[in-house]
Amino acid sequence: MPLIVLDPTLESTPSPARLAPALRSLAGVTVGLLDNGKANVTPFLDHLERFLRIEHGVSGVVRGRKTNMSAPAPPALLQELLACDALVSAVGD
Amino acid sequence: MTPLHSRRHPVDDALEANELFQRNGWTDGLPIVPPTEARVRECLDWVRLAPADVIGTEPVRGVAITAEKLAVNAVAAGCLAPYFPVVVTAIQALCDPAFLLHGTTASTGGSAIVLVVNGPIRREIAMNARDNVLGNGSRANATIGRAVRLALVNLLGCLPGGLDRSTLGQPGKFTLAIAEDEEDSPWAPLAEERGVPAGASAVTVLACAPPRQVMNEWTADPEEILDTFVAEMRANMLTYSIWGGNYALLIPKQLRDLIAAAGWRKQEIREYVHRRARVRRRDWRGAGKAKLIGSGEDDREFSALESPDDLLVVAAGGPAGGFGAVIPPWFGNRSRAVTRAIGLCVEC
Repeated sequence: MPLIVLDPTLESTPSPARLAPALRSLAGVTVGLLDNGKANVTPFLDHLERFLRIEHGVSGVVRGRKTNMSAPAPPALLQELLACDALVSAVGD
Repeated sequence: MTPLHSRRHPVDDALEANELFQRNGWTDGLPIVPPTEARVRECLDWVRLAPADVIGTEPVRGVAITAEKLAVNAVAAGCLAPYFPVVVTAIQALCDPAFLLHGTTASTGGSAIVLVVNGPIRREIAMNARDNVLGNGSRANATIGRAVRLALVNLLGCLPGGLDRSTLGQPGKFTLAIAEDEEDSPWAPLAEERGVPAGASAVTVLACAPPRQVMNEWTADPEEILDTFVAEMRANMLTYSIWGGNYALLIPKQLRDLIAAAGWRKQEIREYVHRRARVRRRDWRGAGKAKLIGSGEDDREFSALESPDDLLVVAAGGPAGGFGAVIPPWFGNRSRAVTRAIGLCVEC
């Protein structure tokens, strides 16, 4: 007589988030750069901003910085980033 | 009878059930108790919850934890049904946004979650508050803390190297649940001091660094006794995190009796520790962190506690020995300790 055990995992994980379709080109778009507040993120994003503007023709960059690196970005900041065509969320340490 | 929704896995026997869990990463590495429908229903019936009742929702990722799934993990961890109200309440507390469950479980900082249980349920389920309270020996202590960890692993994806990015982790991530020794304490229980009505059972959760043991058997002076705890708090501020938050102190009977004999209650302890547990920025030089000190910052003072109420004073430990413990917070005040009363109905 086999034993039946129940699955301990969530099984279905309806994610409230989904990936936006990939952009065909970065030329002329606005990119959001979200800094989580860790020490090395800012210089990384500074470099990335230059790279995106010079190498890929990104026309606008919106920079945001979280005050608590362990918590989600506050709603007002997320609202500001919604206007962007793409977002980079950096978690460097 | 309301059906259970979990997928069913046929196995030959309990050993094969364990192999199934090990193979799929559904355990902490230790063997599991097979979560059969009968055992899971026993837990649900004990708390009078339907399988689909939501115990809590992790606020950042919006993941709902149902009574059925939590019961499966509690059984797998070895919990008996009468332990389940503690597990349910712990999860409710962890889902309070103030606890910042996602941040603390994902952090490289290696936090565990310590559960402190108060009220009559401690005795009903034989939780240990005395000898070896931070160690092995109590089925309830061991399996309740483990149930919370398995729920984090299986329901929130807190897998080492996955969402759990702890650099080192700590032994408390297997299990860390204790009771307060209310019967042999001169002081008000922790939960009562944090707003739970006297006589009610409750769970307090704290995201914590590993407990740091201290010892002082050479004085009857409450200030000197507490200075030993304070010295350990200062050390933690210099070597782990300088930011203030919820620290817990476990004070054993031998030291409780001496402190209480001087007329000190938990309030006096909190106020004294709040005044004393401070470091200056310059103290970081001795801990190899001189580079973090900006010019003119040498005298800047940091307090382990933002207010006296941040200190959780817990009566616990065996009757002999002047050994206490400091349980530091995971990185200051980002995660706050949360206390919840244990009730039978999640919607009441």
